[in-house]
Amino acid sequence: MSYFLTQLANGLSYGLILGLIAVGFVIVFTSTGVLNFAHGSVLLTGAYLVAVLHDPIGFWAAVVVGIAGAALLGVLINAVLVRNLAEANPGTAAILMLGVDILLLTELTRRIGNRVLPIGAPWGADVVTLGGVTLPTSRAVAAGLAVLVFGLLWFLFARTGFGVAMRAAAADGDTASLMGIRLSRTGAAGWALAGALAAIAGIFLASFPAPGVAPALAISAFAAIPAWVLGGFDSVVGAIVGGLIIGVVTALAVGYETQLHFLGRGLGEVVPYAVMILVLLVRPSGLFGREEAVRA
Amino acid sequence: MKHRIRAALALAGCAAVLAACSTEDPNAGQGGTAQGGSAGDVRTGTGVTADTITVGMLTDLSGPFAAGAAVQVAETRAYYEKVNADGGICDRDVQVDVQDHGYDPQKAVALYRSMASNVVALQQVLGGPTSAAVLPLAQADGLYLGGHGWAGVALQYENAQIPGTTYGIESANAIDYLVDELGVAPGGKVGVVYFVGDYGNDSLAGAQYAAQQRGLEVVPQEITPRDTDLTAQASALQQAGVSAVILGAAPAQLASLAGVMSAQGLNVPIIGNTPTFGPSLLQTPAGPALEQNFYTVTSIAPFSLDKPGVQAARELYATAAPDGETGWEVPLAYAQAELLTNALRGACDAGDLTPEGVVTAMRGTADLDTEGLFATPMDFTDPAKPPTRTVYVSRASAQADGGLEVLGTVEGPSAQSFPVG
Repeated sequence: MSYFLTQLANGLSYGLILGLIAVGFVIVFTSTGVLNFAHGSVLLTGAYLVAVLHDPIGFWAAVVVGIAGAALLGVLINAVLVRNLAEANPGTAAILMLGVDILLLTELTRRIGNRVLPIGAPWGADVVTLGGVTLPTSRAVAAGLAVLVFGLLWFLFARTGFGVAMRAAAADGDTASLMGIRLSRTGAAGWALAGALAAIAGIFLASFPAPGVAPALAISAFAAIPAWVLGGFDSVVGAIVGGLIIGVVTALAVGYETQLHFLGRGLGEVVPYAVMILVLLVRPSGLFGREEAVRA
Repeated sequence: MKHRIRAALALAGCAAVLAACSTEDPNAGQGGTAQGGSAGDVRTGTGVTADTITVGMLTDLSGPFAAGAAVQVAETRAYYEKVNADGGICDRDVQVDVQDHGYDPQKAVALYRSMASNVVALQQVLGGPTSAAVLPLAQADGLYLGGHGWAGVALQYENAQIPGTTYGIESANAIDYLVDELGVAPGGKVGVVYFVGDYGNDSLAGAQYAAQQRGLEVVPQEITPRDTDLTAQASALQQAGVSAVILGAAPAQLASLAGVMSAQGLNVPIIGNTPTFGPSLLQTPAGPALEQNFYTVTSIAPFSLDKPGVQAARELYATAAPDGETGWEVPLAYAQAELLTNALRGACDAGDLTPEGVVTAMRGTADLDTEGLFATPMDFTDPAKPPTRTVYVSRASAQADGGLEVLGTVEGPSAQSFPVG
């Protein structure tokens, strides 16, 4: 039983981190209509900044710089590239983002090389044990922080004027624009938020039990794509729930692989996508997606 | 208008940053010219002129293995500079033509095509998928190819000189070492965590064969380079009750696995294949767990080994790259250069310094002593057999240079009988 609970806790905490990434995908998509395939390298940039700066300026200051840097990078990508596209076509923007991802990733790979840069977090390799369930401290902190961040996001979107403006812009950009909402501002805010969330996720993805910041971190952001899609593409709640589902299912699939041996090895790789396809078969617009979510 | 200017400025800034960061191959345009015919009484072919011999290196200076590859390039260049200072090979200077494939097989093939007519041999094609793409082409061209790692598939190629033994034999030795030295009892379980592909599957095959021979049971866990959090795998291994783990992956996976297993109280030996370890891991939070539990089985001598060959490699590296990273790449690059130099000298002595002559000379080497760079003398006469089945066993230690302290050598019974090829 404690084995099951350990895997469950592990999956839930990992799922919350995936949720942070998936929410970033959602916010960029709803605020500017872009499928942000450069999200992974924005995440890596944030984590990289923390890894190289924690020694000279201290971990917490480095965290602030990392989050701000990733947010700024998002805003820059939006201001310089996305807003200057001749026509707002999601396909063009998506391919543009793939290009940005390759450029950023090449540069970061060149800087990191094959080293593994420690993130320098104060929780190191500590673990917490509660009733037979062992969880890395970093994961416990990540889970708590993710819940806090999701609470703040709820407050922003539900209780502040700017958040309501962002939702209005997401629901119907043209009408919102006519009502006096400046889409350039809501767009920039969306990219900044997504960048900041990615950096937070990156810090925890590079913390124990992962060894540190390495180029492969950028690819691990793509593990959040099934969460994003099965949650409904444009739903923040859906992204969080999707993250939790993917996290738990992956942890259990790997944890019980011996019992599921008839499905073959390496199940953890496949299972997120299998779950995504299953959900989409039953609910074509995802768990929480709006029916008319198609942006053409 | 203002908006345009702002965007243009930002773009120009980005471009400037990118330009400042671009890498330039310091050796570009230095490739040797192909001149056939004979000079003196030695037959020559591509890559050899009256006064130079050009060898090629297809390596990864911009991809995932850039840092380790740069170490190897620095050491290889320094090695041939020393050879040239001592009079060269066959009265000729050796030039190294280094090209960057960025771990991209397509690019590696394109670079190979442009390089093949200018070199007498390929000192290195770094990387599993890249060397797998180039090996058949080099075989067809009869061109020597070294420095391609230790995947067992290379034993299918007459022209490939494997720098040591295969991953399968490394892992078979790991099982033998677990049983004979680390007290894993028959009936016990051993986890094998491995990358899917030439490298990991070879490692798994060796471990499975040896486990069967020694009465152990293998619990396999397949992963990809993307997995850097091995919590679920570690929990599953703990649940299965393993008494040891063999890892055929990369440093990021090792740090995660060792850290998580230790945190879960699963303090059993972890034995890694050669590419698993990097000294920078000892600075991560997993450092103490690695020092407690990690061993590695390698064909190539670890950086700290006290033998003349390794010492020469270290000294050369200290002058070539005083601030460079230390690791097993240093003795490896030195040893690979020794292997090719030996083949080139053999070809010269036989009066046939053509690409085919180099391969023939390499295959005529039956008892090559590398002064400790490899654990035993090497026999390359049979392409289908590994030149040795002995590996070094080391364990992680922050005190040792390069992070590994050598415990000794192993050639266990399962490693001796493991069928390769």
